[in-house]
Amino acid sequence: MTRGIPLPRGMRRSSEGWAIHYGAAGSLKLEICLAYCFLPDMASMKGKTSSFSRNLSGASFVQAPGVKHGPNGVTFVSSGIPDLDKILGGGFPLGSLVMVMEDAEAPHHLLLLRNFMSQGLVHNQPLLYASPVRDPRGFLGTLPSPILSKEDKVPQYDPEQEKGLRIAWQYKKYFGENKQSFENHRENRQEYNNDFDLRKPLERQLLSGNHIDCFSLQDYPNLSDLQECCSIFLAQLERNGGGSKSAGRIAIQSFCAPHCSHSNMEWDMISFIRSLKSMIRPSNAVAVITFSPSLLSPTFSKRWQHLADTLISVRAIPDEDKELAKLLTGYQDMVGLLHVHKVASINTQVPVILEASTFSIKLQKRRTLVLERLNQAPVDGSSGNSYATSASCSGSSKAASLDF
Amino acid sequence: MKEMAEPICRVLRDGALEGEHAPALMIKDSMHSAFGLDVFNHILCSLASNISAGKSQARGLVLVSLNRHPSFYTDLLKSRGIGVASSNKLIQIVDCYSDPLGWKDRLLDPGCITKLSPKATGTLCKDIRDLDKLLSVILELGNGLVGVGQGKIHFSVAIDLVTVIIRHTSLQSVSRLISNLRSHDQVSSVFWLIHSDLHEMKAIAALEYMSSMVANLEPIGQSPNEQRGHFEKLLWTEQNSNKGKFHVRFKRRNGRVKLMSEEFLVEQGGIKFITVSSGNGMIDQSLLPKVQFNLQLSEKERVDRAKVVLPFEHQGNGKSMQIYDGRRSLTEGHNNLSTPASTTTKIHTEADCGKGEIHYIRDSDDEMPDSDEDPDDDLDI
Repeated sequence: MTRGIPLPRGMRRSSEGWAIHYGAAGSLKLEICLAYCFLPDMASMKGKTSSFSRNLSGASFVQAPGVKHGPNGVTFVSSGIPDLDKILGGGFPLGSLVMVMEDAEAPHHLLLLRNFMSQGLVHNQPLLYASPVRDPRGFLGTLPSPILSKEDKVPQYDPEQEKGLRIAWQYKKYFGENKQSFENHRENRQEYNNDFDLRKPLERQLLSGNHIDCFSLQDYPNLSDLQECCSIFLAQLERNGGGSKSAGRIAIQSFCAPHCSHSNMEWDMISFIRSLKSMIRPSNAVAVITFSPSLLSPTFSKRWQHLADTLISVRAIPDEDKELAKLLTGYQDMVGLLHVHKVASINTQVPVILEASTFSIKLQKRRTLVLERLNQAPVDGSSGNSYATSASCSGSSKAASLDF
Repeated sequence: MKEMAEPICRVLRDGALEGEHAPALMIKDSMHSAFGLDVFNHILCSLASNISAGKSQARGLVLVSLNRHPSFYTDLLKSRGIGVASSNKLIQIVDCYSDPLGWKDRLLDPGCITKLSPKATGTLCKDIRDLDKLLSVILELGNGLVGVGQGKIHFSVAIDLVTVIIRHTSLQSVSRLISNLRSHDQVSSVFWLIHSDLHEMKAIAALEYMSSMVANLEPIGQSPNEQRGHFEKLLWTEQNSNKGKFHVRFKRRNGRVKLMSEEFLVEQGGIKFITVSSGNGMIDQSLLPKVQFNLQLSEKERVDRAKVVLPFEHQGNGKSMQIYDGRRSLTEGHNNLSTPASTTTKIHTEADCGKGEIHYIRDSDDEMPDSDEDPDDDLDI
């Protein structure tokens, strides 16, 4: 059927490997074709690249570990999840406020927080952690340790495979494979981001450093005390180091938990967040706040969401759901769903446009967190409009339909 | 009475793992399906019987009764035959029903000292607004029940009606009470009842946040709206007068949510749960992706497709379709077709003469139009 490499006229390439084309006489022909995919070069994969890049070759400039420079003068720190860093275009920008919307039915926000905090500790970045439980230090014991050995990475890229033509179904999955192998060549580079093994706890010595401050939100009925702690923490950041400024991380878990005494002071909470954002902006730190939108009144929930620079939400999925298992491939391994609502665009007016915004959270080998784009099996859907809607079958439409 | 609502009772019976918060069940009902108390009683009896049989992690149960007098519960358990045989006391009841705001004290003369004898099975709570005191009373009673032995001995806590507590105190303090109970080492499981239509969405959401299982009682079928006749409303009310649907959402440890749905029937002897075999049709509609591809044809499309004139088969010139049976030579066929029929239009004839023609003869009648046969397949190289 489709023997030649160029597609016949009238056929559109779709990202999912299905194509619809108009038969020569105008009747609709549905042809199943496996789109040939040539693994594209890396430059186009990087996404937004600008022709302006900062000149970083100055001798006085020392790059702090765990920090990466991005376009538009933005400095990134890793979120602790390499997939999330890729999605967000590098990581969390320093000076930004990241908010994670929890789902009351699942603890996935804790997975994100754990990786975030571990990454900071691995890079020796000061950490401020606030949580609604009585003893926040207990949570530190659940932080995962990084996977350091190279053997765990994807096996070496096999140049032999390039010879033959590969027909790939849902071929976007294979892009990541290829990219990994190129990065393997740079052996001496210190890791910017690590994969974390959720089954192994972080080494004791990393936890005992004096750059970790823990607060229990229950101890602070008055939010102004908490605000003061944050400003002290940020002030200390400035004084640390000498030439090289270390980046700091603030993690606040479940900020509006119902048993905290400030939970019904909605105006106070939002004014805290606003002042935290203003403190963070000029500083070398990034703050992650998790909250559950159902615990706030709808208007305040919207205000909080607008305050965030980067907004992510996590969602639980039903268990043993046969319908969902049929619709989504890889359902058995999925733990939950992650949706990126907003990506920080500081110092730039160019909006960030993501290829896909909904991802499935999976635990690979039960230990590392991976985020995957949703691959759905093509299913019978709406009847009627098949002429109009099926003409463009790009992958992004499926992401848009998953509504949080 | 057959043991139904199994999974819930099992979770409450098994209790908490080391280092984890105790499982917490919230039972929600509303005026549309007002059988929350019956469900509560059912679960209470099931847990109590498990405790007395020694099958559960908890060795005792502390019940905070706000909606009924404590004697109701002791009678209930006695009538079901639970706990009569065992020598240990298995239930302690905190009486928040008789005098929750301490009015009796205030009504008495200050000079007169009358001892209010607490009920034998319970402790009288005189100030429901002091939840810290309530918490310490619960923990004290629990400790007293199970005794201090080797290692941790657990007890379960049940709260009759959280709606009453929220009415007198605030959501934040109730949340704190429940959170403290859940995180206490000795508490094996917690469960409570709430009337969901008496609270704001936020309050219900906050308590759902704090619980690990949420059971919702709903009527069967949608409640008819105002436009519907009186009779339909009556019918619906009648149908739901003794039964309803029981939906449970379990928060599992792997982060997934398990949904369970049953029907319940309220009878004289208690409540019965019937498993509905209609399956898990309650898939969250918002998670279902809207699909792009339709591989089947709807009826309208089938009709439309049949109407499409295939261009090479016939031009509507009244000729019957020629099926090439492989025997006639091509020229014969050609001659046949090139004879213009009387019904062709002038333009068509002109087109025939000037331009090239395509003569298409179908191979067979069975061939579906637009079949995807690759003509190259016939080549025999």
